[in-house]
Amino acid sequence: MLKFDLRAPTTLLGVFLLFALLILVLFEQLAHGVDGTVQLLDNAFALPSWQEPLGTDQFGRSNLARLSAAIQISLWMSLLCVITAATLGTVAGIAAAWLRGWVDASIGFVVNVLMALPGLILVLLIGALFPGSFTALYIAISLVLWVEFFRVVRAQTLSLLASPEIEASRLYGFGPLYLFRRHLLPRLLPSLLPLACFGAGNAILALASIGFVYVGLQPPRAELGLMMVELFPYYSDAPWVLAQPVLCVFALILSFNLIAGGFRHDH
Amino acid sequence: MIKLLYRRLMQAIFVAWSVGSLTFLLMHLLPGDFAYRIAAGRYGYDHVTQAAADAVRLELGLDRPIWQQYFAWLGDLLQFNFGNSLVSGAPVLQEIDHQLGHSLQLALYAVVISLLIAVPVGIYCGKRANSVADRFGLFTSVMLRAQPVFVIGLLLVLTLAMNIGWLPVAGFGGSQYLILPAIALSLSLAALSNRIIRNNTHQVMHSSYLQFARLKGLSEQQAFDRHAAPNIALPVIAFVGVQAVSLIEGIVMIESLFSWPGIGHALAHAIFGRDVPMIQATALMMGLLFVAINTAVDVIGYLLDPRQRQEVEYAEV
Amino acid sequence: MKRKTSLRIALLSLLSAMTAWLILTFDATDPAITLSIGGPFEFTSQEPSKDGFIYTRMQVAETLVKVEPDGTLTPGLASHWQESDDRLRWRFELREGVRFHDGTLMSADSVVQSLRAALTKPSMLHQANIVALSSDEEALLLTLAHPYRSLPALLAHYHSVILAPNSYDPDGNVHQLIGSGPYQIHAVKPPHKLVTRRFGDYWGPKAEIEYARYLTGHRAESRALQAQSNQADLIYTLDPASLEMLGRLQQVEIASESIPRTAMIKLNNGHPMLDTPEVRQAISLALDRTGMAEHVVRVPGSEAYQLFPPSLAAWHLAQPPQQQRDLAKAKALLADQGWQADDEGLLWRDGVPFALPLVTYADRPELTVIATAIQAQLREVGIQLTVVVDNSSAIPAGHHDGSLAMALVARNYGVIADPLAVMLDDNASHHGSDWGHMNWSDPALNALLDTMTQSRDADEYHALAQQAALHYAEAMPVIPVVFYTQQIAIAQRLDNFQFDPFELNYRLSEMRFTPHD
Repeated sequence: MLKFDLRAPTTLLGVFLLFALLILVLFEQLAHGVDGTVQLLDNAFALPSWQEPLGTDQFGRSNLARLSAAIQISLWMSLLCVITAATLGTVAGIAAAWLRGWVDASIGFVVNVLMALPGLILVLLIGALFPGSFTALYIAISLVLWVEFFRVVRAQTLSLLASPEIEASRLYGFGPLYLFRRHLLPRLLPSLLPLACFGAGNAILALASIGFVYVGLQPPRAELGLMMVELFPYYSDAPWVLAQPVLCVFALILSFNLIAGGFRHDH
Repeated sequence: MIKLLYRRLMQAIFVAWSVGSLTFLLMHLLPGDFAYRIAAGRYGYDHVTQAAADAVRLELGLDRPIWQQYFAWLGDLLQFNFGNSLVSGAPVLQEIDHQLGHSLQLALYAVVISLLIAVPVGIYCGKRANSVADRFGLFTSVMLRAQPVFVIGLLLVLTLAMNIGWLPVAGFGGSQYLILPAIALSLSLAALSNRIIRNNTHQVMHSSYLQFARLKGLSEQQAFDRHAAPNIALPVIAFVGVQAVSLIEGIVMIESLFSWPGIGHALAHAIFGRDVPMIQATALMMGLLFVAINTAVDVIGYLLDPRQRQEVEYAEV
Repeated sequence: MKRKTSLRIALLSLLSAMTAWLILTFDATDPAITLSIGGPFEFTSQEPSKDGFIYTRMQVAETLVKVEPDGTLTPGLASHWQESDDRLRWRFELREGVRFHDGTLMSADSVVQSLRAALTKPSMLHQANIVALSSDEEALLLTLAHPYRSLPALLAHYHSVILAPNSYDPDGNVHQLIGSGPYQIHAVKPPHKLVTRRFGDYWGPKAEIEYARYLTGHRAESRALQAQSNQADLIYTLDPASLEMLGRLQQVEIASESIPRTAMIKLNNGHPMLDTPEVRQAISLALDRTGMAEHVVRVPGSEAYQLFPPSLAAWHLAQPPQQQRDLAKAKALLADQGWQADDEGLLWRDGVPFALPLVTYADRPELTVIATAIQAQLREVGIQLTVVVDNSSAIPAGHHDGSLAMALVARNYGVIADPLAVMLDDNASHHGSDWGHMNWSDPALNALLDTMTQSRDADEYHALAQQAALHYAEAMPVIPVVFYTQQIAIAQRLDNFQFDPFELNYRLSEMRFTPHD
C-alpha cells in the first residue's frame, strides 16, 4: 500500500525547502509589510538592510515583497492546476474506463487533440490569446496536466474493474460511489499523489518558462520567470538580485520533485 | 514499415488540422481587427495606419464571413498549400525553410550530445549501482532537473561565453554559434535520460539471461556487448520519443535565449509581438516537428527491434 | 552480427558527419573584412514598402534625395530640383552615370517605374497627392493636386527607393532588389540575415570595408552580450539596462544619439475622464520624468516636457512651459475636476473610480518598462492604470473605433525629414491621426500650420514652428514623457562612425577598420 516515507533524507529536504519558502512568505506578510509595487527610482539595487533584507530591484522595489508575491502566485497556480487536473483527469479516466463506448472515444479524441502539441506550446498559444491573464494560464496549464492523470487513471481503472473483488462488489449491488471510495480510490492514490507533486513542479516550471519569454503574466506582476528576464540585463550590476528568483524556482521545483520521490510503493 | 509511416502521416495531418483550427480560432477570437494586426506585421509599428489596414483587408478578403475563410483555408491545407505568409507575402514554406533548418540542426545536435553524455554516464552508474559515482550522478541529475532549461542556458552563457570567452553568446553564423545552445538543451535532456539508462543497465545486469551468458563462458565484455547492450538501447530510443516533448519545449526556450533563428524563436517572437499569422505558421511547424521526431524514433526502433515490427503488423490488423 | 556492424558504421558516420559539419562551417565569415552589425529590426522581404529600411540603411538602395544628420535635404540620385511658380509641378534633374548593381544605367524611365510601383503600395508618397508622373531626357516631372512643401523629404524616405527595372516582376512587385548603392546584396536570409558586398561601380566614393553583415537579434540582453564579447562591430538599440555595464568596458564605446522619436501618452481627449485640459495637465504634472530618464531609460536629460526632441532643432523649444514634477498641483487640479480620494488614496467621481487601461506594445522593449513606471507614478495621485501589452496595431485600431483611452507610444517625428508633413496629417481633422493626438483640434494651430506650408522664408518658418511647438506643449493633447536616444555600441576597431538620426542610412561605406587591429 501507499507509504509516505518522511524519514528519507531527500524527502525531508524537499519538505524543508517548501517550508522555508512558506516561512519567507509568512514573514513578509506578517513582519515586512512593504508594497512590492511601489517604485523608488532613486533607491535602485539597494543592498540588503534591516528594512529590506533582500535589497531592492532595478526600480527600487522591495525584493522581499516581490519574491513573496511571486512565490505565492507560483504556489497558488500549481495548487489550483493540480487540483483541477487531478479531479478532471480522475473523473474522466474513471468515466472512460467504466462506460467505454462513445464516452471513452470522445475523451480519447480530446486527449489526442491536446497531445498534438507539446504542452508548453499550447500554454504559449493560450497565453497569446489572453495576455497577462492568470485565469487563462490556469486553464491552459490544467489542460496540459490533466492528460497524464487521465491516462494513468483510465489504465488502472480498466484493470481494476476486471479484478475479482470489484466484480464481487458489483454483483452484491454496491453503487458506483461505494466502489469508487472502497476499491478505486485507495488503489489509485499511490499513483496520483506523486503525479500531483510532479504536476505541481511542472506547473511552476511552465509558468516561469512563459514568463521568461514575456508571454505569461505581465509587468508589474511579480512572477519568477518574468523577474528573471527583467533582471537578466543587470547580471553584472546586481548578480545577487538575479540569483533570487533563480534560486526560488530551483527550490520550488526541487522540493516538489523530492517530495514526489518520497511516495514509495510497499512491496 | 509502410504501415508505420502511414500511421504517422495520418497523425501529421491530424496535427495540422487541429493546430491550424486552434490557431484559426485564436486569430478570430483575439480582440481587435485582424487586418490591423497583419498590417503591423507587414509595415512595422511606424507605418501601421487605417489606410494600410484597409489595403490588407481588401487584398486578403478579410471581410468575408469567418466560416468562408475557414473553409478556404482548410481547402488549401488539403492540397498541401500552406499559402503565402500574410505578413511577408512570400510562400510560407519558403519562409519557414530557413528557420526549420536551424531548429532541426539544434534538435539533432542536442539529442546526439545528450546521448553522448547520458549513455556512458548511465551505463557506468548502472554497472556500479549505489556507488559514490552513482550517487553523485543522481545528485547532479536531480539538480539539473530542478532548473528550467533557460536557467541552464543562462548559466552557460555567463560562465563559458562571458567570463571565459570561448564561444559566441548569441546569434548565428558559423557552427560555433550552435555549440552553447545545443549543450544547454542536451544537458537538460541528459539529466533525465542518464537515469533511465542507469536503471535499465542495473536491471539488465541482474537479469537471468545475462547471468546465463556469463555462465556459458562469455567474457564480461562479450556478454555485455551481445546481450546487455541491445536490451539497454531499445528503451532508451523509445525514451527519446518520450523526450520529444521536452525537446520541443526546450527548443522554444533555448532558441529564444540564444537568438538562434529557428522555429521556436520565431514562435516566441511572434507571440511577443502578437503577430498572429506567424504564430499560426510556427505553431503548425512545431507540431509537425513533434510528429517528425516521433517518426524518426519509430523507424529506428523498428529497424532495431524485431518485436516492434511484429507489433506494428498486429496493430494494423 | 552483420546488422550490428552496419549499425555501428551508420552511427559512426553520423557522428563524423556532424563533427565535420561543425568544423567546416566554423566561422563562415572573415571578420577582418566584414563589418558586422546587430539590431532588433526584422525584415521579411525585399519589398521597399515593407522592408525598404534595411536596404537603405545597409546602403543597397538609394533615393533621389538624401537627408543630412541635421535634417537638411541634399542631392542623392537627383542632382538638383525645383518647384514651379504655382507650386504644383516639380522637376528633379537626375544624376548621370549612375549604375545599378546589375550593370544597367539609371534612366528617367527607371525612376518613373520605381515611383509608380511605390504608389501602388501603402507609401508615404501618397501624402503628396501626386496626379502625374512623367519624365523627359534627364529629369523626373511630378505634378501635384495641391502644393506640398515636403515633397523632397518624402522622396528621401525608404518607400521611394529607385531600383533597376529588373527588380520588378510583371505585377510590379520587387522579387529581387537591385539598387545603386555602394553595397550590393551578397546574401539575403529573411528575417535574420543580410550580407552585402562592396559595389565596384558605385557612382560616388566607394566603400572602405569589403563586406557588411546585418544580423537580427531580438533580445536586447543578447545584443548587449554580443557587444560585450566583441561579436559585432555595431550594435543598434541597446537596452538601458546594459548601458552601465557596457560603459565600463574598454573594447566598446557607446554612442548616445538623439533621434526624432518621443515616448508619449496618447489620450482619447473625448473620453469622459480625460476631456479637460486640466486633467491632462494633472497627469503630466504627476509624471516623474527625471526619474524615468535617469533610472528607466538611463539617459539623464532625456525627459520630455514637449513633443519635439532636440534633433528636430526648428521645432524644439528651449524653455517648455512645464519643467518639473508637481504632485500637489496635480492633486489640486484633479480635486477641482470633482475627483475625490478614498481611504487608499484612489480617486472616485460619481461612484466611478479613475481607472483606465494603458495600452502599449512590446516591439520597443523600453515601452513596457516606462509604462510600469507611469503606472506607479499615477497611482500616487490616485489614478489606477492597468498596463495592457498588445500588438502595435491595437493603437491605430483603437483610435479609429474610439475604444482607446490611454496608450503609451513611441512616435517617430522623423518618418520623413520634415515634421510639418506629420503635423498636417495629425491636424487634418478633429479626429486626429493613427499615432498622433485623438479627438482634439485647435483652430489657431491649424492656421499656423497653414501659414507654414506657404512660407518660403527659413527664419519665418523657424519662428512659426516654435509657435506651433508651444501650442502643443501648453495644451498637451498628447503627453510627452521621454525623448529617445539611439544607443549604439561601437567596437574599438571601427573608425569614423557616422550616425543618421532619421535612421535611413547607416553610412557604413564611410567607416573603416583601424589598420593595426
